[in-house]
Order: sequence, then structure tokens, then C-alpha cells
Amino acid sequence: MISYILRRLLVAIPTILVLIVLSFLMMHYAPGGPWSSERAFPQAVIDALNAKYGLDEPLWRQIASYTWNIVAHFDFGPSLYYKDRSVSDLIAQGFPVTLTYGFWSFAVAVAVGGSLGIAAAVWHNSWLDYLAVGISIGAQVLPNFVMAPILVLVFTLWLGWLPGGGWQGGAFPYVVMPVIALSTSFMASIARITRSSMLEVLNAGFIRTARAKGLPMRRIVLRHALKPALLPVISYLGPAFVGMITGSVVIDIYFSTGGIGQYFVNSALNRDYFVIMGVTILTGALTVLFNLVVDILYAWIDPKIRY
Amino acid sequence: MTLNTVLRLTAATLVLGPGLAFAAGPQEGETLAESQTFTYRLLDEVPTLDPQLNEDVSGSNVQRDLFEGLMNQDAEGNLVPGVATGYTTADGNRTYVFTLRDDAKWSNGDPVTAGDFVYAWRRAIDPATASPYAWFVEMTTMANASKILAGELPPEELGVEAVDDQTLKVTLEESIPYFAAMTTTSTLFPAHRATIEEFGSEWTRPGNMVSNGAYVLSEHVPNEYHTRTKNPEYWDAENVHITEVTGLVINDVNQALTRYLAGELDMIEPLPAGQFPELKERYPDQATSVPRLCTYYYSFNMTDSANPALQDVRVRRAMSYAIDRDVIVNAVLKGGQSPAYIFTPPFTASFEPPATAYEDMTQKERDAEAVRLMEEAGYGKDSPLTLRLIYNTSENHQKIATVMAQMWKQKLGVSVEMQNFEWKTFLEIRKNQEFDVARGAWCGDYNEASTFLQLMVSDNSQNDGRFANDEVDALMLETKTMDDPNPNYAQVEAILEQEVPVIPVYHYANVFMLNPAIKGWPYGNVENNWYSKDFYKLAE
Repeated sequence: MISYILRRLLVAIPTILVLIVLSFLMMHYAPGGPWSSERAFPQAVIDALNAKYGLDEPLWRQIASYTWNIVAHFDFGPSLYYKDRSVSDLIAQGFPVTLTYGFWSFAVAVAVGGSLGIAAAVWHNSWLDYLAVGISIGAQVLPNFVMAPILVLVFTLWLGWLPGGGWQGGAFPYVVMPVIALSTSFMASIARITRSSMLEVLNAGFIRTARAKGLPMRRIVLRHALKPALLPVISYLGPAFVGMITGSVVIDIYFSTGGIGQYFVNSALNRDYFVIMGVTILTGALTVLFNLVVDILYAWIDPKIRY
Repeated sequence: MTLNTVLRLTAATLVLGPGLAFAAGPQEGETLAESQTFTYRLLDEVPTLDPQLNEDVSGSNVQRDLFEGLMNQDAEGNLVPGVATGYTTADGNRTYVFTLRDDAKWSNGDPVTAGDFVYAWRRAIDPATASPYAWFVEMTTMANASKILAGELPPEELGVEAVDDQTLKVTLEESIPYFAAMTTTSTLFPAHRATIEEFGSEWTRPGNMVSNGAYVLSEHVPNEYHTRTKNPEYWDAENVHITEVTGLVINDVNQALTRYLAGELDMIEPLPAGQFPELKERYPDQATSVPRLCTYYYSFNMTDSANPALQDVRVRRAMSYAIDRDVIVNAVLKGGQSPAYIFTPPFTASFEPPATAYEDMTQKERDAEAVRLMEEAGYGKDSPLTLRLIYNTSENHQKIATVMAQMWKQKLGVSVEMQNFEWKTFLEIRKNQEFDVARGAWCGDYNEASTFLQLMVSDNSQNDGRFANDEVDALMLETKTMDDPNPNYAQVEAILEQEVPVIPVYHYANVFMLNPAIKGWPYGNVENNWYSKDFYKLAE
């Protein structure tokens, strides 16, 4: 197992290097650049800016020195748009925010979605099943960019219960609406996947045996069915967890949370090269990491899987 | 009244002393609210709080509070004393000598001296600083600015000198009658050398920053909010009423409106597209529209890369005439914008807007003339013209482009291939003249007509259609040495009407909601430059 983990981590290094080179190239060849603006700057200004940020170097050298600075100094470069900030600054400030609302959204989505899915499968074709399916379809088709403004309209303007946005270090009232808006569609997917895989397991031979032995349903579900039914859910949860903790541009835009989700879109629009790279590498590294975690969980849940 | 007389009058009022400039403030009978706070919406995080690096309108609003330049603007946009109590000019507006007040202080108690301006201005033009706004210093024609920016001379050679702590002498290469007005731009604000040298690029963090404005930066969480609190060291602190200003970053315009209506903010701008009339009806004392010093226009590509039909002035004029600007302003935008028939906004300071022939025609007459011109040029419904129109992706731009294309199609039979691009891609395409007609907009860098009309000079980098006219070039060159440049501006506008290199569509309005308890808003300042120190909040 240990050697497997080590092997996987070693493979991650070239994966991330390829990610860096590809992203850097795509970014570089996108039309426009960090200095294009409504006002066309004089060439001398553009030259000075390029010189300051090393963009006057040949492309291969830019990529090499960028990578070297990460490896040697853990320095992800300056932001070209937020001129008095570095990429590390921006991520250090924004990542705890998305980590917080992402983690809670994940917890809510798993708890609610999982329970709904299990209940729907156990009481298959009952009113509970239809209700659970109805809720999950409803949550799936209501995108968060529709839900976010409705939440603010209801809870801020009409009821006056919650602040309409902001973060304030993650104080409870500021976290509620982002978590609701972010978790619902994930919750819906988890409910659907749990339900169908649970149904499949409940029809399996070993469950029939357990029933024939006269075990109570509660025990069958929790002791025998749950673990195998979770396998497909877990393979969904790995990438979903990364998606949630790296934030959502919709949440950041609608709730002014100050997380890093917005950088995925804004840094590309601003051609803020090093921020694009920073969030790409962060997401890439987390994806590699959590795919590994998922594989380890697999081995733990399913004794048939051995590495 | 010419610009020079305006400035002379301004200079005269400066001599009268500061009393006149601070007449605005709580009036008799007004009761101030206990908590003097002002909270407003920021569309995006301010890219930088460093005045010399700033290139952004929202950043300028913050920096005008945190820092103070030589001159400020009042509620009408007129120049009033800032750190300088006044100035004299010599050598035909090529030399400016500013006298600094002796009680101006930095937030750490240090005196603000002429040397702080010299340091800041050299810093702004120094290629090592790489300020995107270095061009602004170059535009003032301060001596040697271009050579310093190109790396040919050291920054110490810049034409600005501290004669003594209270006297700043500026030497320009050209006659710039509006130079004093340019000192209200953040690029030319002073900087505290010791702080910048100590903290490097982190000098703009709360706790590190030393500033000389009416406010100091007390809190800053990027992409969430920042707070500026009253600076007790500010020389005029006793007349500053608002004690705390908060900028909340709210990207989404509808979300901003909801939160304003929930009472979380005192001011939001702009308003969601098209909602102004309804908001005005429901909140007549809050929804406001004031003119803004910008023009929205479409450029014709005048180069070989365009459809050759556009070389024919009759085609260009027909297309301009066929645009019903009233429809765009009243049915699409609905925010108090004004239809544009000339390039320079008519409300630009000391500008005498020339009359145009087509402005006085009815739309029906314009349409008839457009059809006639188009037929004369050999195009019509039988031999249609196909043009490529580009704009950057945005709901409003799309609406306007669609309406314009429809008008051209219906009235002139012109088929328009509409293409929209993400902003930076759009800029690249427009810069390379890969279009027939392209959306454009320009906001004045300063309140004087040349900031607009310079765009029509053949070598101007903003001249997207590459319109080239020797007469325009000569007339604009001549304005620099004229006491009253208005006759030349009128002539340039007349040439634009004759040649139609651009279609002026509308002049902007700034549309916003303001808490009626906030007083002192500069409604008459067409650059929409506001200073929180001039506000006060009435008790509800």
C-alpha cells in the first residue's frame, strides 16, 4: 500500500508539469494580453511592464523560471492585475474562505443527499421515494445562479434574517446562503447515485440471504448494504470535494465571499497570467490528491480491491 | 467662457482664500445623524491602492479619499485647493509654480512637502515602477517624461522640482492650459517615500500605508471589502463629517440593488440595465441620473482591410443618419443618456458645442436622406451591402448592436454580420482593424474637449478606424497654443460631420441610487469624481 501511494505521488509530478506547460502555452497564445485595455498604452509602457514581470523573455524561459520559482522558493509569482498582491497572497487569503464554505457544502450535500438516497431505495416506490426523487430533480434543475439571487431576495430583503453577502471571517450568518446555494445540486447528484446503487445492492444475493436469516432491515442496510452501495458514490465524491473546496465563481460573485472561485473566470478575462497558473496548479494538485484518497478508500471499503 | 478664463477665475478664487471652497457642508437647521458612515458598492476589487499604479475609476474614488493631490474638485467639478493653496503660471502655460499649505500632514504626522510630489511623480514615470499610467505623466508633457519612460534619461531629470518645502515648480515641454486640473488624478498624488522604501509592494496594506488624505486605510479584505476611517492628521479634519467609509465588493448588479434596498448600502452604481425609470418612479428621491463625461460611438474602418464601400463618405453618412438615436436612448438604455450628434459631450467644461445639420432634422428626414445617399452610392435593397460589426460581449452592447443592425437592414438594406468577443480578444481585433464597424467608447481623462478630439488625430493609438485627415491634425496641434481653442474644436467637429469616420451614438449618464440622508453629493461634476470628506449624513 505504502509503495502504491508513493508511486502515485511520483506520477503526480510529471502530471502537474504537463499541466503547467499546457496551461502556460494556452494562456500565452490566447488573443490579447494583460496590458491590453480600452486605452492602448504607449509601447514604452508595455515594454516596462513586460520587463518588470519577465514577460519579455522567450517563452521557454518564462515557463522554466516560473516552474523553478515554485520548486525552489514556493513562489507562484505576482498578480499582474492586483498589482500590490502576489498569487500566494491572493490564494492564502481566498482559499480558507472557499475551503470553509466548500467543506460545509460538502458535509450538507453528503448528509442530506445520502440520507435521501438511502431512504428512497429502502422504501422503493413509496411516497418517500417519490418525494426524494422529486426533491433531487428539483435541486438539480435549479442552478445556483438562479437560487443565489432568490435566497438573497427572500432572506435579506423580505425576511431580513441574513446579511446579503460578505464573509466576515466566516461568521455563521454569512456562511448559510453560500452553503445552501452550493450544496443543493451536489446533494441532488449524491441522492440519485446513492439511490440507484443502493437499489442495486439491495437486490443482490447476499442481501436476500440476510433477509432470509430474518435480520432487521435497519441492520441489513447499515451493516451489509451501505458499504458496497457507497462505492460509486465515493468515486463521485472525490472530484466533487475538490470542486467544492476550490470554490465557485457563482458563489463568490453573488455572495461577495472573497473566495478563490472567482479567479477561475476573472483571472482568465484579465489575462492575469500567474493567477491563472496558480489556481490551475492548486486545482490540479488537489484533484490528484483526492483521486488518490478515493482509491485508498476503495481498498478500505472493498476487500476485493488490492493495490 | 474659455478654458483659460475658467482657470483664471479659479486662480482668482484661490487667492480669496479657502473659505469659499468649503461653503458646502451641513446647513442651518439640518440635524446630523449620530453615526456618520458611508457604505457603497464596488463592482470589483480595486486592482491596486497605489496611486501611481492605479488605472481604474473605482480605484481613483478610493485614492481621492486616502490621498490628496495639489488640487481638488468641488461639487461642480471646479478646481479648489488641495495640498496647494494656489498656483501661478508663466511662459505661456509651460511653467507652473504651486504653493503648498504648511499645515498638510501625512497620517503619521510628517509634513507633506514639495519633495513628496517630486518623489511620487518621478516614481510614476520611472520604467522600473512600470506604472500602466506612466503615459499620463507623459501626456502632461512634463520635461523629459518621454525620454525617462524610454529609459534614455534617469527619473531625476523629470521637469518637476522642489524649490523649497512649500514650493513646487513644474516645467512642461508644451503649453498645457489644463495642467492644474490634471493634478486631481491619482497618478500625480504625493507618496510617502520612507513607507514605500520600507515595505515595498506591501506598503498599501492597512497598518503599513501612510497617506495624506482625509481618510486612512483601516481594513482591507480583497474581494470582500475595505474600510477607510477619518484621518485625524488631515489639515481640514474639523470639516470632515463622515468618519467611516466602507466599499463592499458586489460583482452582480442585481444583487447590489437587492442589498441596497435591504438597507445594507448608502450608494450603488450603476443600476441594472433598463430599470432606471421604474426605480425613479418608486424611489424618486434616491434614483439619480447625471451626465457623465463619456461618448459611446461606432468607428468605421477607414483602411483597406474594410469593405471598400466604406471609403465612400455617402455610405458612412447614410449609416449614421439611419440610426435613430432617440430609440437607443429612450427605448433601450432608459437611463437619462443623451443622443450624440457630435463626438465631444456638449457638457464638457468650457466647450461650445457646434450645431450640426443632421441634429436639427427629424428622423424621417434623416432616413430619407440616408436612403438617397445609399442609392446614389450604388447600394440598395437590390444590391445590398454586407458589413461586419464587432462589439465586446455585454448585454447592453448586444442590445444596441442589434437595434442598429435592424435599423440599417430595414432602412438601407444593409446586412450586418454581428460578432461579439470577450473584452481582451475584442481589443486585439479592433486594434488590428479586422472589422467594418466597431463599438467604441471614450471617457474624458480630464474635463476639456481635447481629451475627446485627440482621438481623431491620425497617429492617436485610440483611433481605431485609422481616420487620417491633415486638417484635423493641424487644427488639434494649433489648439495647444490658443487662448480660446473652441473655434478649432468646432472646425474639427465640422470635419467629423463631413467625413463621418465615427457614428456618435450617445453621451453617457451615471445612473445610481443614493441614500437621501447622504448630502453633499457632487451632482454637477460630470467626471463623477467624489470626495467622501464633502459628504455628511442627516438624521433619519
